[in-house]
Amino acid sequence: MTSDVLPRRRITSLEVLCVLLVLALVGQNWLTGVLDVPAVRTGATVFVAVCVQALPFLVLGVLVSGAIAAFVSADALRRLLPRRPALAVPVAGIAGVALPNCECAAVPVARRLIQQEVPPAVAVTFLLAAPAVNPIVLVATVVAFPGEPAMVLARFAGSLATALVMGSLWARWGRMEWFAERALRRLPPPGDTRSRWVTFAETARQDLVDAGGFLVIGGLTAAVLNVVVPRSWIDTLGDQILLGILVMAVLAVLLSLCSEADAFVAASLSALPLLPRLVFLVVGPAIDLKLFTLQAGTLGRRFAVRFAPLTFVVAVLCAIIAGGLVLGGPR
Amino acid sequence: MRRETQNILLVLLGGALLKISFTGTYLRYVKPAHLWLLVLAGVVMIALAAVSIGRELAGRRTSTGDDHHHPGRSAWLLVLPVLAVFLVAPPALGSDSVERAGDSPPRGSQRESVSYPPLPAGDVLPLSMSEFVERAAWDATGSLDGRTVRLKGFVVHEGDTAYLARLRIFCCAADAFPVKVELVGDAASRFADDSWVEVVAELVPGSSTEANHRVPSVTVESISPIPEPADPYDH
Repeated sequence: MTSDVLPRRRITSLEVLCVLLVLALVGQNWLTGVLDVPAVRTGATVFVAVCVQALPFLVLGVLVSGAIAAFVSADALRRLLPRRPALAVPVAGIAGVALPNCECAAVPVARRLIQQEVPPAVAVTFLLAAPAVNPIVLVATVVAFPGEPAMVLARFAGSLATALVMGSLWARWGRMEWFAERALRRLPPPGDTRSRWVTFAETARQDLVDAGGFLVIGGLTAAVLNVVVPRSWIDTLGDQILLGILVMAVLAVLLSLCSEADAFVAASLSALPLLPRLVFLVVGPAIDLKLFTLQAGTLGRRFAVRFAPLTFVVAVLCAIIAGGLVLGGPR
Repeated sequence: MRRETQNILLVLLGGALLKISFTGTYLRYVKPAHLWLLVLAGVVMIALAAVSIGRELAGRRTSTGDDHHHPGRSAWLLVLPVLAVFLVAPPALGSDSVERAGDSPPRGSQRESVSYPPLPAGDVLPLSMSEFVERAAWDATGSLDGRTVRLKGFVVHEGDTAYLARLRIFCCAADAFPVKVELVGDAASRFADDSWVEVVAELVPGSSTEANHRVPSVTVESISPIPEPADPYDH
Protein backbone atom coordinates (compact mmCIF):
# COMPACT_ATOMS: atom_id res chain seq x y z
CA MET A 1 0.00 0.00 0.00
CA THR A 2 2.62 2.50 -1.01
CA SER A 3 0.57 5.62 -1.38
CA ASP A 4 3.06 7.46 -3.56
CA VAL A 5 2.49 5.01 -6.39
CA LEU A 6 -1.28 4.87 -6.18
CA PRO A 7 -3.48 7.78 -7.27
CA ARG A 8 -4.47 10.05 -4.39
CA ARG A 9 -8.22 9.67 -4.76
CA ARG A 10 -8.35 5.94 -4.07
CA ILE A 11 -10.71 4.97 -1.27
CA THR A 12 -8.61 3.76 1.65
CA SER A 13 -9.48 1.63 4.62
CA LEU A 14 -9.54 4.80 6.68
CA GLU A 15 -12.53 6.17 4.82
CA VAL A 16 -14.21 2.79 4.89
CA LEU A 17 -13.83 2.71 8.65
CA CYS A 18 -15.24 6.21 9.01
CA VAL A 19 -18.27 5.39 6.87
CA LEU A 20 -18.75 2.18 8.84
CA LEU A 21 -18.68 4.00 12.17
CA VAL A 22 -21.06 6.71 10.97
CA LEU A 23 -23.47 4.09 9.61
CA ALA A 24 -23.33 2.20 12.90
CA LEU A 25 -24.03 5.39 14.85
CA VAL A 26 -26.95 6.32 12.62
CA GLY A 27 -28.33 2.81 12.76
CA GLN A 28 -27.81 2.37 16.50
CA ASN A 29 -31.51 2.21 17.34
CA TRP A 30 -32.17 -0.24 14.56
CA LEU A 31 -29.18 -2.30 15.65
CA THR A 32 -30.20 -2.54 19.30
CA GLY A 33 -33.73 -3.36 18.16
CA VAL A 34 -32.52 -6.27 16.05
CA LEU A 35 -30.41 -7.55 18.90
CA ASP A 36 -33.30 -7.44 21.35
CA VAL A 37 -34.13 -11.13 21.03
CA PRO A 38 -33.27 -13.27 24.08
CA ALA A 39 -31.00 -15.68 22.22
CA VAL A 40 -29.16 -12.92 20.35
CA ARG A 41 -28.79 -10.91 23.54
CA THR A 42 -27.27 -13.87 25.31
CA GLY A 43 -24.96 -14.49 22.35
CA ALA A 44 -23.88 -10.84 22.26
CA THR A 45 -23.05 -10.90 25.96
CA VAL A 46 -21.02 -14.08 25.60
CA PHE A 47 -19.22 -12.62 22.59
CA VAL A 48 -18.21 -9.46 24.42
CA ALA A 49 -17.32 -11.56 27.47
CA VAL A 50 -14.95 -13.82 25.51
CA CYS A 51 -13.28 -10.81 23.85
CA VAL A 52 -13.01 -8.80 27.06
CA GLN A 53 -11.67 -11.78 28.96
CA ALA A 54 -9.11 -12.81 26.35
CA LEU A 55 -7.86 -9.41 25.10
CA PRO A 56 -5.75 -8.59 28.19
CA PHE A 57 -4.01 -11.94 27.87
CA LEU A 58 -3.45 -11.39 24.18
CA VAL A 59 -1.95 -7.99 25.00
CA LEU A 60 0.33 -9.68 27.50
CA GLY A 61 1.33 -12.18 24.82
CA VAL A 62 2.15 -9.55 22.21
CA LEU A 63 4.22 -7.63 24.76
CA VAL A 64 6.27 -10.74 25.52
CA SER A 65 6.49 -11.44 21.82
CA GLY A 66 7.63 -7.88 21.12
CA ALA A 67 10.19 -8.07 23.91
CA ILE A 68 11.63 -11.28 22.48
CA ALA A 69 11.85 -9.67 19.05
CA ALA A 70 13.55 -6.55 20.34
CA PHE A 71 15.72 -7.67 23.21
CA VAL A 72 16.47 -11.38 22.84
CA SER A 73 18.70 -12.26 19.96
CA ALA A 74 18.37 -15.53 18.09
CA ASP A 75 21.85 -16.42 19.34
CA ALA A 76 20.87 -15.99 22.97
CA LEU A 77 17.85 -18.23 22.49
CA ARG A 78 20.02 -20.85 20.82
CA ARG A 79 22.42 -20.81 23.72
CA LEU A 80 19.53 -21.12 26.17
CA LEU A 81 18.00 -24.19 24.58
CA PRO A 82 19.66 -27.59 24.23
CA ARG A 83 20.68 -28.20 20.63
CA ARG A 84 19.01 -31.55 20.13
CA PRO A 85 15.20 -31.43 19.80
CA ALA A 86 14.97 -34.58 21.93
CA LEU A 87 16.25 -32.49 24.85
CA ALA A 88 14.86 -29.11 23.85
CA VAL A 89 11.27 -30.35 23.66
CA PRO A 90 11.10 -31.35 27.36
CA VAL A 91 12.82 -28.08 28.30
CA ALA A 92 10.10 -26.17 26.43
CA GLY A 93 7.48 -28.23 28.24
CA ILE A 94 8.95 -27.27 31.61
CA ALA A 95 9.23 -23.63 30.48
CA GLY A 96 5.49 -23.78 29.88
CA VAL A 97 4.94 -24.89 33.48
CA ALA A 98 6.84 -21.93 34.81
CA LEU A 99 5.14 -19.25 32.69
CA PRO A 100 1.59 -18.50 33.73
CA ASN A 101 0.25 -17.86 30.30
CA CYS A 102 -3.20 -17.92 28.85
CA GLU A 103 -3.63 -19.84 25.59
CA CYS A 104 -4.24 -16.64 23.67
CA ALA A 105 -0.94 -15.23 24.90
CA ALA A 106 1.03 -18.33 23.95
CA VAL A 107 0.27 -18.08 20.23
CA PRO A 108 2.12 -14.82 19.43
CA VAL A 109 4.98 -15.88 21.70
CA ALA A 110 5.33 -19.19 19.87
CA ARG A 111 5.41 -17.42 16.54
CA ARG A 112 8.12 -15.07 17.77
CA LEU A 113 10.18 -18.01 19.00
CA ILE A 114 9.98 -19.59 15.54
CA GLN A 115 10.96 -16.29 13.96
CA GLN A 116 14.00 -16.18 16.22
CA GLU A 117 15.10 -19.54 14.82
CA VAL A 118 13.98 -21.67 17.72
CA PRO A 119 13.14 -25.11 16.27
CA PRO A 120 9.38 -25.22 15.56
CA ALA A 121 9.06 -28.47 17.53
CA VAL A 122 10.17 -26.58 20.63
CA ALA A 123 7.83 -23.67 19.96
CA VAL A 124 4.96 -26.09 19.41
CA THR A 125 5.66 -27.78 22.75
CA PHE A 126 5.66 -24.41 24.47
CA LEU A 127 2.45 -23.44 22.69
CA LEU A 128 0.67 -26.47 24.14
CA ALA A 129 2.30 -26.62 27.57
CA ALA A 130 2.12 -22.97 28.62
CA PRO A 131 -1.67 -22.60 28.88
CA ALA A 132 -2.37 -26.09 30.18
CA VAL A 133 0.04 -26.89 32.99
CA ASN A 134 0.92 -23.54 34.55
CA PRO A 135 0.40 -23.02 38.33
CA ILE A 136 -2.72 -20.84 37.98
CA VAL A 137 -4.56 -23.49 36.00
CA LEU A 138 -3.49 -26.26 38.36
CA VAL A 139 -4.61 -24.32 41.43
CA ALA A 140 -7.95 -23.62 39.74
CA THR A 141 -8.32 -27.34 39.17
CA VAL A 142 -7.57 -28.13 42.81
CA VAL A 143 -10.24 -25.64 43.89
CA ALA A 144 -12.79 -26.97 41.40
CA PHE A 145 -12.35 -30.62 42.38
CA PRO A 146 -12.00 -30.45 46.15
CA GLY A 147 -12.51 -34.15 46.79
CA GLU A 148 -10.39 -35.38 43.90
CA PRO A 149 -6.69 -34.52 44.17
CA ALA A 150 -5.97 -37.17 41.53
CA MET A 151 -7.78 -35.01 38.98
CA VAL A 152 -5.05 -32.35 39.16
CA LEU A 153 -2.30 -34.89 38.71
CA ALA A 154 -4.16 -36.51 35.82
CA ARG A 155 -4.69 -33.14 34.16
CA PHE A 156 -1.04 -32.20 34.58
CA ALA A 157 0.15 -35.54 33.20
CA GLY A 158 -2.31 -35.56 30.30
CA SER A 159 -1.56 -31.99 29.21
CA LEU A 160 2.21 -32.23 29.56
CA ALA A 161 2.15 -35.54 27.66
CA THR A 162 0.11 -33.90 24.89
CA ALA A 163 2.67 -31.11 24.57
CA LEU A 164 5.66 -33.47 24.57
CA VAL A 165 4.11 -35.93 22.12
CA MET A 166 3.13 -33.13 19.73
CA GLY A 167 6.62 -31.62 20.05
CA SER A 168 8.25 -34.94 19.24
CA LEU A 169 5.89 -35.60 16.33
CA TRP A 170 6.66 -32.16 14.98
CA ALA A 171 10.40 -32.69 15.37
CA ARG A 172 10.07 -35.87 13.30
CA TRP A 173 7.54 -34.91 10.64
CA GLY A 174 6.91 -31.17 10.83
CA ARG A 175 7.78 -29.00 7.83
CA MET A 176 8.79 -25.40 7.78
CA GLU A 177 6.81 -24.61 4.63
CA TRP A 178 3.55 -25.18 6.52
CA PHE A 179 4.08 -21.95 8.35
CA ALA A 180 2.83 -18.81 6.66
CA GLU A 181 5.63 -16.89 5.03
CA ARG A 182 4.93 -13.83 7.17
CA ALA A 183 5.24 -15.94 10.33
CA LEU A 184 8.81 -16.77 9.43
CA ARG A 185 10.01 -13.42 8.13
CA ARG A 186 12.98 -12.32 10.16
CA LEU A 187 12.93 -8.87 11.59
CA PRO A 188 15.91 -6.65 10.87
CA PRO A 189 18.26 -7.07 13.82
CA PRO A 190 17.75 -4.10 16.12
CA GLY A 191 20.68 -1.75 16.49
CA ASP A 192 20.89 0.82 19.29
CA THR A 193 18.62 0.98 22.32
CA ARG A 194 16.22 3.44 20.75
CA SER A 195 15.57 1.32 17.71
CA ARG A 196 15.10 -1.67 20.00
CA TRP A 197 12.21 0.07 21.73
CA VAL A 198 10.76 1.02 18.37
CA THR A 199 10.98 -2.60 17.28
CA PHE A 200 9.33 -3.64 20.53
CA ALA A 201 6.38 -1.28 20.10
CA GLU A 202 5.97 -1.91 16.39
CA THR A 203 6.12 -5.72 16.69
CA ALA A 204 3.69 -5.77 19.59
CA ARG A 205 1.30 -3.49 17.74
CA GLN A 206 1.45 -5.51 14.55
CA ASP A 207 0.96 -8.79 16.41
CA LEU A 208 -1.99 -7.35 18.26
CA VAL A 209 -3.74 -6.21 15.09
CA ASP A 210 -3.00 -9.55 13.40
CA ALA A 211 -4.13 -11.78 16.21
CA GLY A 212 -6.93 -9.58 17.54
CA GLY A 213 -9.13 -10.13 14.50
CA PHE A 214 -8.78 -13.86 14.81
CA LEU A 215 -9.61 -13.71 18.47
CA VAL A 216 -12.82 -11.94 17.51
CA ILE A 217 -13.72 -14.77 15.10
CA GLY A 218 -13.14 -17.22 17.92
CA GLY A 219 -15.29 -15.16 20.25
CA LEU A 220 -18.10 -15.03 17.70
CA THR A 221 -18.04 -18.78 17.17
CA ALA A 222 -17.94 -19.49 20.88
CA ALA A 223 -20.90 -17.17 21.42
CA VAL A 224 -23.00 -18.84 18.74
CA LEU A 225 -22.24 -22.31 20.05
CA ASN A 226 -22.79 -21.27 23.63
CA VAL A 227 -26.33 -20.41 22.66
CA VAL A 228 -26.96 -23.21 20.17
CA VAL A 229 -25.52 -26.16 22.12
CA PRO A 230 -27.63 -26.68 25.22
CA ARG A 231 -25.61 -28.02 28.13
CA SER A 232 -28.57 -30.15 29.12
CA TRP A 233 -27.48 -32.56 26.36
CA ILE A 234 -24.67 -33.57 28.62
CA ASP A 235 -26.96 -34.74 31.39
CA THR A 236 -28.46 -37.32 29.06
CA LEU A 237 -25.08 -38.97 28.43
CA GLY A 238 -24.88 -40.50 31.89
CA ASP A 239 -22.63 -43.50 32.08
CA GLN A 240 -21.96 -44.06 28.38
CA ILE A 241 -18.24 -43.62 28.75
CA LEU A 242 -17.09 -43.61 25.10
CA LEU A 243 -19.84 -41.32 23.95
CA GLY A 244 -19.15 -39.13 26.96
CA ILE A 245 -15.47 -38.83 26.08
CA LEU A 246 -16.23 -37.95 22.49
CA VAL A 247 -18.90 -35.39 23.33
CA MET A 248 -16.77 -33.73 26.00
CA ALA A 249 -13.76 -33.56 23.67
CA VAL A 250 -15.84 -31.90 20.96
CA LEU A 251 -17.47 -29.62 23.50
CA ALA A 252 -14.06 -28.50 24.78
CA VAL A 253 -13.22 -27.42 21.22
CA LEU A 254 -16.53 -25.72 20.58
CA LEU A 255 -16.98 -23.82 23.84
CA SER A 256 -13.46 -22.28 23.75
CA LEU A 257 -13.32 -21.65 27.47
CA CYS A 258 -10.39 -19.96 29.16
CA SER A 259 -8.09 -22.57 30.71
CA GLU A 260 -8.43 -20.81 34.04
CA ALA A 261 -12.17 -21.45 34.11
CA ASP A 262 -12.71 -24.76 32.38
CA ALA A 263 -12.09 -26.80 35.53
CA PHE A 264 -15.11 -25.20 37.17
CA VAL A 265 -17.29 -25.96 34.19
CA ALA A 266 -16.07 -29.55 34.19
CA ALA A 267 -16.74 -29.82 37.91
CA SER A 268 -20.29 -28.61 37.42
CA LEU A 269 -21.02 -31.39 34.91
CA SER A 270 -21.28 -33.87 37.71
CA ALA A 271 -23.67 -36.16 35.86
CA LEU A 272 -20.61 -37.46 34.00
CA PRO A 273 -17.85 -39.79 35.25
CA LEU A 274 -14.44 -38.22 35.86
CA LEU A 275 -12.73 -39.49 32.71
CA PRO A 276 -14.81 -37.57 30.15
CA ARG A 277 -14.37 -34.47 32.27
CA LEU A 278 -10.61 -35.00 32.31
CA VAL A 279 -10.66 -35.24 28.51
CA PHE A 280 -12.50 -31.91 28.49
CA LEU A 281 -9.74 -30.34 30.60
CA VAL A 282 -6.86 -31.71 28.54
CA VAL A 283 -8.35 -30.96 25.11
CA GLY A 284 -9.66 -27.45 25.86
CA PRO A 285 -6.37 -25.61 26.47
CA ALA A 286 -4.62 -27.58 23.71
CA ILE A 287 -7.05 -26.84 20.92
CA ASP A 288 -10.33 -25.00 20.62
CA LEU A 289 -12.02 -22.84 18.03
CA LYS A 290 -10.64 -19.60 19.37
CA LEU A 291 -7.11 -21.05 19.35
CA PHE A 292 -7.57 -22.53 15.90
CA THR A 293 -8.51 -19.20 14.38
CA LEU A 294 -5.66 -17.52 16.26
CA GLN A 295 -3.17 -20.10 15.01
CA ALA A 296 -4.46 -19.96 11.46
CA GLY A 297 -4.06 -16.19 11.48
CA THR A 298 -0.74 -16.04 13.26
CA LEU A 299 1.12 -19.10 12.09
CA GLY A 300 -0.64 -19.83 8.83
CA ARG A 301 -3.66 -21.78 7.68
CA ARG A 302 -1.63 -24.69 6.34
CA PHE A 303 -0.07 -25.09 9.74
CA ALA A 304 -3.38 -24.88 11.60
CA VAL A 305 -5.30 -27.41 9.49
CA ARG A 306 -2.59 -30.00 10.15
CA PHE A 307 -1.79 -29.09 13.71
CA ALA A 308 -5.32 -28.77 15.12
CA PRO A 309 -6.78 -32.20 14.22
CA LEU A 310 -3.58 -33.98 15.26
CA THR A 311 -3.52 -32.10 18.57
CA PHE A 312 -7.14 -33.06 19.14
CA VAL A 313 -6.44 -36.77 18.66
CA VAL A 314 -3.22 -36.73 20.69
CA ALA A 315 -4.86 -34.78 23.52
CA VAL A 316 -7.81 -37.18 23.72
CA LEU A 317 -5.48 -40.20 23.78
CA CYS A 318 -3.14 -38.65 26.34
CA ALA A 319 -6.10 -37.77 28.55
CA ILE A 320 -7.48 -41.31 28.36
CA ILE A 321 -4.10 -42.83 29.21
CA ALA A 322 -3.46 -40.35 32.02
CA GLY A 323 -6.96 -41.00 33.32
CA GLY A 324 -6.42 -44.74 33.20
CA LEU A 325 -3.12 -44.51 35.07
CA VAL A 326 -3.89 -41.79 37.60
CA LEU A 327 -7.62 -42.05 38.14
CA GLY A 328 -7.59 -45.81 37.75
CA GLY A 329 -10.30 -46.15 35.11
CA PRO A 330 -13.38 -44.21 34.05
CA ARG A 331 -14.94 -43.63 37.51
CA MET B 1 -5.62 -2.15 5.87
CA ARG B 2 -3.55 0.99 6.33
CA ARG B 3 -1.57 1.60 9.46
CA GLU B 4 -3.64 4.67 10.26
CA THR B 5 -6.80 2.59 10.23
CA GLN B 6 -5.21 -0.08 12.38
CA ASN B 7 -4.15 2.55 14.89
CA ILE B 8 -7.60 4.08 15.04
CA LEU B 9 -9.08 0.64 15.61
CA LEU B 10 -6.62 -0.02 18.41
CA VAL B 11 -7.44 3.30 20.06
CA LEU B 12 -11.16 2.52 19.80
CA LEU B 13 -10.71 -0.99 21.18
CA GLY B 14 -8.50 0.19 24.02
CA GLY B 15 -11.05 2.92 24.68
CA ALA B 16 -13.81 0.32 24.79
CA LEU B 17 -11.92 -1.66 27.43
CA LEU B 18 -11.32 1.47 29.49
CA LYS B 19 -14.95 2.51 29.13
CA ILE B 20 -16.36 -0.72 30.53
CA SER B 21 -13.72 -0.65 33.27
CA PHE B 22 -14.57 2.84 34.48
CA THR B 23 -18.34 2.58 34.13
CA GLY B 24 -18.36 -0.76 35.91
CA THR B 25 -20.17 -2.54 33.10
CA TYR B 26 -17.20 -4.92 32.84
CA LEU B 27 -18.89 -6.82 35.66
CA ARG B 28 -21.49 -7.99 33.14
CA TYR B 29 -18.78 -9.83 31.25
CA VAL B 30 -15.95 -10.88 33.55
CA LYS B 31 -15.23 -11.39 37.23
CA PRO B 32 -14.23 -8.38 39.37
CA ALA B 33 -10.58 -9.47 39.59
CA HIS B 34 -10.16 -8.72 35.87
CA LEU B 35 -10.51 -4.96 36.37
CA TRP B 36 -6.84 -4.08 36.50
CA LEU B 37 -6.11 -6.43 33.57
CA LEU B 38 -8.67 -4.58 31.47
CA VAL B 39 -7.32 -1.14 32.41
CA LEU B 40 -3.78 -2.27 31.69
CA ALA B 41 -4.74 -3.80 28.35
CA GLY B 42 -6.67 -0.69 27.33
CA VAL B 43 -3.77 1.59 28.22
CA VAL B 44 -1.24 -0.61 26.40
CA MET B 45 -3.38 -0.72 23.25
CA ILE B 46 -3.76 3.04 23.16
CA ALA B 47 -0.06 3.52 23.92
CA LEU B 48 1.02 1.17 21.12
CA ALA B 49 -1.24 3.00 18.69
CA ALA B 50 0.01 6.38 19.97
CA VAL B 51 3.64 5.42 19.44
CA SER B 52 2.86 4.38 15.89
CA ILE B 53 0.85 7.52 15.17
CA GLY B 54 3.60 9.64 16.69
CA ARG B 55 6.25 8.10 14.48
CA GLU B 56 3.99 8.51 11.49
CA LEU B 57 3.55 12.20 12.18
CA ALA B 58 7.28 12.66 12.75
CA GLY B 59 7.83 10.93 9.42
CA ARG B 60 10.24 8.54 11.05
CA ARG B 61 8.74 5.38 9.73
CA THR B 62 11.29 3.18 8.01
CA SER B 63 10.27 1.75 4.69
CA THR B 64 11.36 -1.78 5.51
CA GLY B 65 8.97 -4.46 6.54
CA ASP B 66 5.54 -3.29 7.43
CA ASP B 67 4.63 -1.43 4.29
CA HIS B 68 4.55 -4.72 2.47
CA HIS B 69 2.78 -6.43 5.25
CA HIS B 70 -0.93 -6.73 4.73
CA PRO B 71 -2.56 -8.29 7.71
CA GLY B 72 -5.48 -10.09 6.12
CA ARG B 73 -8.91 -8.66 6.24
CA SER B 74 -9.27 -10.19 9.69
CA ALA B 75 -8.21 -6.95 11.36
CA TRP B 76 -11.56 -5.50 10.31
CA LEU B 77 -13.22 -7.79 12.80
CA LEU B 78 -11.82 -5.64 15.60
CA VAL B 79 -14.67 -3.29 14.73
CA LEU B 80 -17.17 -5.78 16.15
CA PRO B 81 -16.22 -5.67 19.83
CA VAL B 82 -15.86 -1.89 19.54
CA LEU B 83 -19.38 -1.50 18.16
CA ALA B 84 -20.74 -4.06 20.59
CA VAL B 85 -19.36 -2.19 23.59
CA PHE B 86 -20.07 1.38 22.50
CA LEU B 87 -23.39 0.97 20.74
CA VAL B 88 -25.08 -2.17 22.01
CA ALA B 89 -23.53 -2.72 25.47
CA PRO B 90 -25.01 -6.22 25.86
CA PRO B 91 -26.72 -6.72 29.22
CA ALA B 92 -25.70 -9.23 31.86
CA LEU B 93 -26.87 -12.78 31.25
CA GLY B 94 -30.31 -13.51 32.64
CA SER B 95 -33.31 -15.79 32.46
CA ASP B 96 -32.55 -16.86 28.89
CA SER B 97 -29.27 -18.43 30.02
CA VAL B 98 -30.97 -20.08 32.98
CA GLU B 99 -33.56 -21.71 30.74
CA ARG B 100 -30.90 -22.69 28.23
CA ALA B 101 -28.68 -24.33 30.80
CA GLY B 102 -31.15 -26.94 31.92
CA ASP B 103 -30.54 -28.50 35.29
CA SER B 104 -27.11 -29.04 36.69
CA PRO B 105 -26.47 -29.65 40.36
CA PRO B 106 -24.41 -27.13 42.33
CA ARG B 107 -20.71 -27.33 42.87
CA GLY B 108 -19.34 -29.67 45.49
CA SER B 109 -21.32 -32.59 44.19
CA GLN B 110 -18.26 -34.83 44.13
CA ARG B 111 -18.56 -34.90 47.86
CA GLU B 112 -21.03 -36.63 50.05
CA SER B 113 -22.55 -34.46 52.74
CA VAL B 114 -19.99 -32.45 54.66
CA SER B 115 -20.12 -30.20 57.67
CA TYR B 116 -20.20 -26.53 56.79
CA PRO B 117 -19.02 -23.93 59.30
CA PRO B 118 -21.90 -22.64 61.45
CA LEU B 119 -23.81 -19.59 60.22
CA PRO B 120 -23.74 -16.35 62.21
CA ALA B 121 -26.68 -15.67 64.49
CA GLY B 122 -29.33 -13.08 63.64
CA ASP B 123 -32.94 -12.80 62.58
CA VAL B 124 -32.62 -12.58 58.83
CA LEU B 125 -29.41 -13.88 57.38
CA PRO B 126 -28.14 -12.46 54.07
CA LEU B 127 -26.66 -15.29 52.02
CA SER B 128 -25.39 -15.58 48.46
CA MET B 129 -27.48 -17.82 46.23
CA SER B 130 -24.54 -20.18 45.72
CA GLU B 131 -23.91 -20.61 49.40
CA PHE B 132 -27.58 -21.18 50.11
CA VAL B 133 -27.94 -23.79 47.38
CA GLU B 134 -24.70 -25.55 48.36
CA ARG B 135 -25.62 -25.69 52.01
CA ALA B 136 -29.11 -26.91 51.17
CA ALA B 137 -27.60 -29.68 49.08
CA TRP B 138 -24.58 -30.85 51.03
CA ASP B 139 -24.56 -29.56 54.59
CA ALA B 140 -24.77 -32.46 57.02
CA THR B 141 -25.23 -30.15 60.01
CA GLY B 142 -28.50 -28.75 58.66
CA SER B 143 -27.41 -25.20 59.40
CA LEU B 144 -30.20 -23.76 57.24
CA ASP B 145 -33.04 -25.54 59.03
CA GLY B 146 -35.34 -23.04 60.66
CA ARG B 147 -33.27 -20.07 59.50
CA THR B 148 -34.76 -17.11 57.68
CA VAL B 149 -32.47 -15.94 54.89
CA ARG B 150 -32.35 -13.01 52.51
CA LEU B 151 -31.49 -13.89 48.91
CA LYS B 152 -30.97 -11.63 45.91
CA GLY B 153 -31.55 -12.78 42.37
CA PHE B 154 -33.83 -12.46 39.38
CA VAL B 155 -37.14 -14.17 38.72
CA VAL B 156 -37.43 -16.94 36.15
CA HIS B 157 -40.71 -18.66 35.28
CA GLU B 158 -40.48 -22.15 33.87
CA GLY B 159 -43.90 -23.56 33.19
CA ASP B 160 -46.01 -22.92 36.29
CA THR B 161 -43.02 -22.81 38.60
CA ALA B 162 -41.27 -19.63 39.63
CA TYR B 163 -37.60 -19.62 40.51
CA LEU B 164 -35.23 -17.16 42.04
CA ALA B 165 -32.03 -17.50 40.02
CA ARG B 166 -28.59 -16.08 39.71
CA LEU B 167 -25.78 -16.97 37.34
CA ARG B 168 -22.45 -18.00 38.69
CA ILE B 169 -19.28 -17.24 36.73
CA PHE B 170 -15.70 -18.26 37.35
CA CYS B 171 -13.85 -16.31 34.70
CA CYS B 172 -16.19 -14.73 32.19
CA ALA B 173 -19.83 -14.91 31.19
CA ALA B 174 -19.03 -17.72 28.73
CA ASP B 175 -18.66 -20.13 31.63
CA ALA B 176 -21.77 -19.01 33.51
CA PHE B 177 -24.07 -21.58 35.00
CA PRO B 178 -27.24 -21.01 36.99
CA VAL B 179 -27.99 -21.49 40.66
CA LYS B 180 -31.68 -21.42 41.39
CA VAL B 181 -34.19 -21.81 44.14
CA GLU B 182 -37.84 -22.75 43.67
CA LEU B 183 -40.24 -20.19 45.14
CA VAL B 184 -43.18 -22.04 46.65
CA GLY B 185 -46.54 -20.36 46.13
CA ASP B 186 -47.44 -17.53 43.77
CA ALA B 187 -45.56 -14.70 45.50
CA ALA B 188 -43.38 -14.20 42.42
CA SER B 189 -46.16 -14.33 39.84
CA ARG B 190 -46.47 -10.54 39.67
CA PHE B 191 -42.82 -10.26 38.63
CA ALA B 192 -41.78 -10.72 35.03
CA ASP B 193 -38.75 -12.78 34.02
CA ASP B 194 -35.45 -11.03 34.75
CA SER B 195 -36.87 -8.70 37.41
CA TRP B 196 -34.40 -8.42 40.24
CA VAL B 197 -35.88 -9.10 43.65
CA GLU B 198 -34.89 -9.58 47.23
CA VAL B 199 -36.57 -12.55 48.86
CA VAL B 200 -36.86 -13.23 52.56
CA ALA B 201 -37.52 -16.93 52.80
CA GLU B 202 -37.01 -20.17 54.61
CA LEU B 203 -35.72 -23.45 53.21
CA VAL B 204 -38.20 -26.31 52.92
CA PRO B 205 -36.17 -29.00 54.74
CA GLY B 206 -35.16 -31.91 52.54
CA SER B 207 -36.30 -30.22 49.33
CA SER B 208 -32.86 -30.42 47.68
CA THR B 209 -32.73 -33.91 46.19
CA GLU B 210 -30.92 -35.83 43.49
CA ALA B 211 -34.19 -36.05 41.58
CA ASN B 212 -34.76 -32.30 41.33
CA HIS B 213 -31.11 -31.63 40.45
CA ARG B 214 -30.50 -30.12 43.86
CA VAL B 215 -32.81 -27.18 43.35
CA PRO B 216 -34.13 -26.45 46.85
CA SER B 217 -37.55 -24.94 47.57
CA VAL B 218 -38.20 -22.04 49.87
CA THR B 219 -41.33 -20.65 51.47
CA VAL B 220 -41.44 -16.94 50.78
CA GLU B 221 -42.07 -14.49 53.62
CA SER B 222 -41.61 -11.37 51.57
CA ILE B 223 -40.48 -10.44 48.10
CA SER B 224 -39.56 -6.94 46.99
CA PRO B 225 -38.09 -5.46 43.81
CA ILE B 226 -34.49 -4.19 43.86
CA PRO B 227 -32.31 -2.55 41.21
CA GLU B 228 -29.92 -4.84 39.36
CA PRO B 229 -26.79 -5.17 41.53
CA ALA B 230 -23.52 -3.73 40.21
CA ASP B 231 -22.11 -7.22 40.07
CA PRO B 232 -24.92 -9.33 38.65
CA TYR B 233 -23.14 -12.65 39.12
CA ASP B 234 -22.24 -15.00 41.93
CA HIS B 235 -18.63 -16.09 42.11
